[in-house]
Amino acid sequence: MPESTQIHEALGVFDKTTSRWGRITMIIGLFFSLAAPAYLVFFSGLDIELSGIFAAFAALAAVFGVIWIVEPLTYYPILGASSMYQAFMIGNISNKLLPAAMIAQSTIGVKPGTRKGELASVAAICGAAAVHLTSLFIFVGLLGTWLVSVIPADIVQTVQLYILPTVMGAVLIQAIVSQKSPRAAVIALVVSLIVVFVLSPLSPKMALFSTAIAVISTAVLAWVLRDRQKTEVAERAAEETPPEGPVY
Amino acid sequence: MYLAAAVDNNSTDILAVANSPFLWACAIGVFLVIVIQSVIYMKAAQVAAPHIGMTHQEIKTSFRAGAISALGPSLAVVLVAIALLTVFGTPAVLVRIGLIGSVSYETAAAAIAANSAGAELGGPTYTQAVFGLALAAMSLGGAMWMIATLILTPLLKRGDSALRKVNPAIMLVVPGAAMVGAFMVLGLGELPKSWIHVVAFGSSAVIMTVLMIIAKRVDRPWIKEWALGIAIILSLVITHLATRV
Repeated sequence: MPESTQIHEALGVFDKTTSRWGRITMIIGLFFSLAAPAYLVFFSGLDIELSGIFAAFAALAAVFGVIWIVEPLTYYPILGASSMYQAFMIGNISNKLLPAAMIAQSTIGVKPGTRKGELASVAAICGAAAVHLTSLFIFVGLLGTWLVSVIPADIVQTVQLYILPTVMGAVLIQAIVSQKSPRAAVIALVVSLIVVFVLSPLSPKMALFSTAIAVISTAVLAWVLRDRQKTEVAERAAEETPPEGPVY
Repeated sequence: MYLAAAVDNNSTDILAVANSPFLWACAIGVFLVIVIQSVIYMKAAQVAAPHIGMTHQEIKTSFRAGAISALGPSLAVVLVAIALLTVFGTPAVLVRIGLIGSVSYETAAAAIAANSAGAELGGPTYTQAVFGLALAAMSLGGAMWMIATLILTPLLKRGDSALRKVNPAIMLVVPGAAMVGAFMVLGLGELPKSWIHVVAFGSSAVIMTVLMIIAKRVDRPWIKEWALGIAIILSLVITHLATRV
């Protein structure tokens, strides 16, 4: 079918462009982010021992090492391949980029995990990046030093301490409504309750992996316990629609 | 060297090195790279969209929805970033807290690094040399995330394609469930911290529920887009009042 070849080609071009330029821009970003400390360590005249840096890095790796690998694994199914290179450079993924992608998908009525959903999330993350870069540039870069002197300390403290629960409360409701899958929501609730109130208190190490454990178990259980009738209908429909996966 | 006058290992005048021109140049570099990436991605999305039955308008709407919903979270990050300006200086705050990482991770990383040198962030032991060490550790830690992304994404993509061929329904169920699971555990994880966290989470969830019901009743899609910002600001006000009880 010529039409499906055309779709294939268009998606192939999109995948190639985003993976090539996503990687190139991320490597350049990586370079700039490492150049700053490299300058301080090697050229600024400060006495910073390399052995001290290794020790600090080892201490970090002990705490975060597994997260470095688990986080990309956790966000991949939600973001899709193309957005991965955006998300891990722009940062603040769970509190800013995931909500942005989800709201965009539900505004135009597409699902995560589909190619339309992927394009919507790419565009949404671009929009979020535009807003974020602008507000950082103006309020932190240009006005930051002045603002720090006028914003009352207790307001800054409230925001710092409680921003995560305020974002998550609202975003969770939006996610449940937009997914229209009460079954998955109930599974997520039960799994998260167990992870937060039973597993995490057992050891602090466990708490670090709570997001990954909950996300992976919810995904697996939602798949095992899926509404088979509904997904079978969707499956048959999917065979007739354009390829949803990466096409090369 | 041009910094020589200001550089002193034992000085606690962090900002003399933290706001140096070279660090500013690196921060601007990261900004520009993200701008360029976004332009390339937007173009690619717009080119591909019509071929899979999406209009340019839908791409534009997604961009706008993403932008508006980022307002609330973005301003929150800005506020916290401002609070940390005196600790890390403007360029490091822009790159580490504002971009790439997140407040909680980067501050934890800096604190761990300072501790490994027997110092503390912000105290009399927080010298220029300790700042350099903390920035190096934060940057290396952040780099690990990027490196993991660069290595894992192509691998996952291959696995993903294979999976979709075997069973296309898996992608109808798994991504959505993973997303709800992520928000659920991140949200519930806040509850045991204190009763004010419960107030923050609960008030925000209630406000969002009300906004969603209103949006549905009056059929105004813009409410959905602005809902997150409204819910965050209102529930922060409620939470702030709760801290004074």
